[in-house]
Amino acid sequence: MMKFGFAFLAVATLAAPAFAAPDGKALFAANCAACHQGAGQGIPGAFPALARNKFVVGDPKLVAATVLNGRGGMPAFRDSLKDDQLAATVSFVRMSWGNKAPAIPPAIFAAVRTGKMKTERPMPVH
Amino acid sequence: MSMTRRAFLERLSAVGGTTLMLMGLEAFGMGIASAQTAPPPLQGGGAGKKVIILGAGVAGLTSAYELGKAGYDVTVIEARAFAGGRSQTARKGFQLTELGGETQTCNFDEGQYINHGPWRIPFHHRSTLHYIKEFGVEVELFNNDNDNSFMYFTKGSGPLANKPIRKREVAADMRGHTADIFAKLAQNGALDKQMDAADREQFLAYLSAEGYLKGDAHDYHGAEGRGWITKPGAGLVAGEEAPIYKLGDVLHSEAWKVLSSITDWDQQRTMFQPKGGMYMLPMGFVTKGGVGEKIVYSTVVEKIRQNAKGVEISVVNGEGKRSTVKGDYCICTIPLSVLKSIDTGFSAPFKAAMDGCAYAPVGKIGLQMKRRFWEEDHWIYGGHVYTDNSEIGSISLPSTNWLGKKGTLLGYYQFMGDAAKVSALSPADRAKFAVDFGQKVFPAYAESFETAFSVAWHRVQYNLGGWGMWSDEARARDYPVLLQPQGRVYLAGEHLSHIGGWQAGGIESAWMQIDALHKRASAAA
Repeated sequence: MMKFGFAFLAVATLAAPAFAAPDGKALFAANCAACHQGAGQGIPGAFPALARNKFVVGDPKLVAATVLNGRGGMPAFRDSLKDDQLAATVSFVRMSWGNKAPAIPPAIFAAVRTGKMKTERPMPVH
Repeated sequence: MSMTRRAFLERLSAVGGTTLMLMGLEAFGMGIASAQTAPPPLQGGGAGKKVIILGAGVAGLTSAYELGKAGYDVTVIEARAFAGGRSQTARKGFQLTELGGETQTCNFDEGQYINHGPWRIPFHHRSTLHYIKEFGVEVELFNNDNDNSFMYFTKGSGPLANKPIRKREVAADMRGHTADIFAKLAQNGALDKQMDAADREQFLAYLSAEGYLKGDAHDYHGAEGRGWITKPGAGLVAGEEAPIYKLGDVLHSEAWKVLSSITDWDQQRTMFQPKGGMYMLPMGFVTKGGVGEKIVYSTVVEKIRQNAKGVEISVVNGEGKRSTVKGDYCICTIPLSVLKSIDTGFSAPFKAAMDGCAYAPVGKIGLQMKRRFWEEDHWIYGGHVYTDNSEIGSISLPSTNWLGKKGTLLGYYQFMGDAAKVSALSPADRAKFAVDFGQKVFPAYAESFETAFSVAWHRVQYNLGGWGMWSDEARARDYPVLLQPQGRVYLAGEHLSHIGGWQAGGIESAWMQIDALHKRASAAA
């Protein structure tokens, strides 16, 4: 399915200053808020709330794997965001809207990323 | 596609003749091709049985039409105020409010439209074409490949990166340069291990034809099909071919990434589209097929219950009034992304299998242009502008209203994380994003833009995604479970086919399930 599908899924062009840490809040707004909503409140029956969500503040490896590989209607972000960007985004979520969990360092994403990804067929285009 | 494991699993879960037939066709190499060409004969009639069909997309409409024809008493419950499911067409007045988004009202001129759902019908989707023919839906050709169109690649380097170049130039030069190199190798004896002298002669002849090579040296100097500086004309105007690009320049542009000797089976050139928009196909079922009178609109399914005697569906209508609909069987075409939040009473293993199907975030935007500059200025009639900017995906030029005044093109078609990202923008910002990119390809893009209509299918209520996707594991583990009825409820839709995301998948899934339902109902009668 090379035609105009996933063969050249590429790194999102996010303007970040060379030495600044990625802005988790801005990354969340750009990549996640369309579904999970601006305050992480989700939409019942459609998109899970991230605010006060036990899974979100739980096992860092499971959270990292979910964001890297996707789940249900949520896309995999392993190709569109780098580890430090993923770490900043997820850490922002874990410390916002009533969530109180420690940040997840980029190293966790790097470790989970090297694990075997659940095989997804290349994106068919219709 | 690997057949063995899949075929084995489906054999295990075979639900009857249709499945066996599908498998038989796949064994003959039909692969993902739409395998069935006609609906199953439902012999013996419906014997007064009542079937409740959930969803009036093409799977539900197919079920209602065929079961109704066979004498079943059918009722279709549809959440929206119109039929068609994802087979929608945005035209003047069409409204869409995405979850968490503002209401868009399509402001296109009369006659302008964008198919923001399915938009093209491959020639081998015989099931879809069966109903096109059955209902006399007028179609026109959809140009799915245009050598004269542009490519715009941004991630490469060199003089051909970040500028529009014609597909025919890239195709001719890559094939020409490649053939040139192989011809030299063959002539120098470097391929003697691979072929004897007789083979080599044929191989060189092939390379010359494929790569436009000239003379005894088999050199590539270009091809008239790749384009002209001066086109041949009257009198003394013989024409002058445009010079070729250097191999290295084409390679480093990365534009060759969209070339292949033959396209994927579901992307071959000959495709159709209904005149006026894809919604004309569901309208065929509704009007000519008489299914319209069986649809209860603006009615949302809240609960599914069943026992040994029948099914009971609890619904709520647009006025908030609750009621129940009873029947002997149910065909449920609600996307799994939505169904999993409905109180179905399904078994735990069945629900777990439903979770195995992921749904694709997908975004599209239609841009109405006051002038068909792609035709007038660049002589591009239909087809796609390919790009490696994955947030745009492709721009597609309309295969309708040829040579007309205005036109509505597809400004982006993106998936997954890219779709999630673009969908965070407001409709106005999505349009601006699309127009800014298009301006890089076509100088008249921005000045011609009038109005836009966009969709992010993952944010569309009652869909929550463009189409179902199965990982290899889930296809093996979960998919066969869902092909089996859950009691008296049969699931159908594109997500329960190997033609996922296509209308043919929904239609053929419906054919499979009504066949199974009918055999069971006939045996019980």
